[in-house]
Amino acid sequence: MSTDFTPIFLFLAIAVGTGLSMLALSALLGPRKETRVKQMPYESGMDPIGDARQRFDVRFYLVAIAFLLFDVELLYLYPWAVAQWSAEPALAVANSAGVVLTAGVPPIFRAMVFWEIMVFVAILTAAFAYAWKKGVFEWR
Amino acid sequence: MTLWVLIGIVIKILMIVGITQGTVAYLILVERKIAAYAQDRIGPNRCGAQFGLPAALLQPLADGAKMLLKEDVVPKYVTKPLYILAPWIAIVTAMIGFAVVPFGPVGPNQLIDFQIAPNVDMGLLYVLAVGSLAVYGVILAGWASNNKYAFIGGLRSSAQLISYELPLGMSILGMLLLAGSLDMNQVIAWQSQNAWGVLVQPLGFILFFTSAFAETNRLPFDLPESEQELVGGFHTEYSAMKFGMFFLGEYLHIITVSFITVILFWGGWHLPFLGLTPESSGLIDTLLKVGIITGKVFLAILFIMWIRWTLPRFRYDQLMDLAWKSMIPLALINLVATAGIVQLVRTYWN
Repeated sequence: MSTDFTPIFLFLAIAVGTGLSMLALSALLGPRKETRVKQMPYESGMDPIGDARQRFDVRFYLVAIAFLLFDVELLYLYPWAVAQWSAEPALAVANSAGVVLTAGVPPIFRAMVFWEIMVFVAILTAAFAYAWKKGVFEWR
Repeated sequence: MTLWVLIGIVIKILMIVGITQGTVAYLILVERKIAAYAQDRIGPNRCGAQFGLPAALLQPLADGAKMLLKEDVVPKYVTKPLYILAPWIAIVTAMIGFAVVPFGPVGPNQLIDFQIAPNVDMGLLYVLAVGSLAVYGVILAGWASNNKYAFIGGLRSSAQLISYELPLGMSILGMLLLAGSLDMNQVIAWQSQNAWGVLVQPLGFILFFTSAFAETNRLPFDLPESEQELVGGFHTEYSAMKFGMFFLGEYLHIITVSFITVILFWGGWHLPFLGLTPESSGLIDTLLKVGIITGKVFLAILFIMWIRWTLPRFRYDQLMDLAWKSMIPLALINLVATAGIVQLVRTYWN
């Protein structure tokens, strides 16, 4: 199996360069007429009242925490989903390098791995149901 | 790897960058035209008429020049490094997602590999990872602007983006299980030999496409920039090309998401009765494959733009309810059902 990341890093370098050149061109080409009113934070034409960086609703934190939990657990499911059936010769397809991969969960373990994943998803669902019951997803 | 191979890759990358940016410029025109027809107007039709070109074909050039030539206002009260970093992150993350997207046939016996990085086995994971980085651009822009509208817009947007990322990630698990690979070429190959993803994973497709709307901040999920409440949302304080970079990033995301939808669920370059196989090469087959995949992507983009003028915007609690209370449970059910059925069929049928 050959995984070649060189093109991705080249692309990253070019993307970084494109972004920087856009910022630079815009700063160089545009006119610059600073006035006091133009420098104020925009608040529908009124003078701004107070600072913008105030405390905000705790529910945003809750959503972020719930997301972190589920996203990490979701990440565990990807390798399983790929490996579960990829060792099946009848289903194998050649990848872009022309190699037929036969790595994956061996046939005798498939049923066991399947039930393990079901238990994993059940625990995930239980945590989800608990968070729901506790009102993490209430936005009213 | 020789120098010539590297130069070849760089040329390919520059072509892709040029094509995608040019496409974005014209997508904005297409969007405005569709908006106009949906509202019984004519839309832009002047720019280019001087040279005998119909339908404002030079409008994107004028837009681009205007973005560069306008005053680049940096308000005094912003956190300057982060304020400048935010649009840069938005555009870079939107651009590099395209590195693993195949826009034509890829393989050892093809004329050219129509993919920047053809030998990456975990393409889908890479696209999801890079796509989710876009939330940093949004939240930094909202926070650094030191503006109430921008701040609320950034908060709402980041909560929305992370909420819809879960159904987005879960809905493709069924397809991965069936195709047994994260390599998009193999997913297409599987579909060309069996059935299109939308037929075997209809629920997965609906969940994926809906989350894709939310991830690209398109109506009916454009809460982050709901004009009536938040002026411009997280990019209220941005002007000139910095605003343009957010815009460009958003449209690049639309293109990438359309490609992923087509590759995962609409069969990629495959059309029934044409006899295209993963191995078929030759000039005609290659052109057919590229034409089919780009045509499907264009259809997906048109669909996304059409939806904008069909559905009204959600209220914020409805938006979060939809993600957490309907889509994630449905995605879990889809995953369990797919895994169970595949297990049964593949164990006892064959």
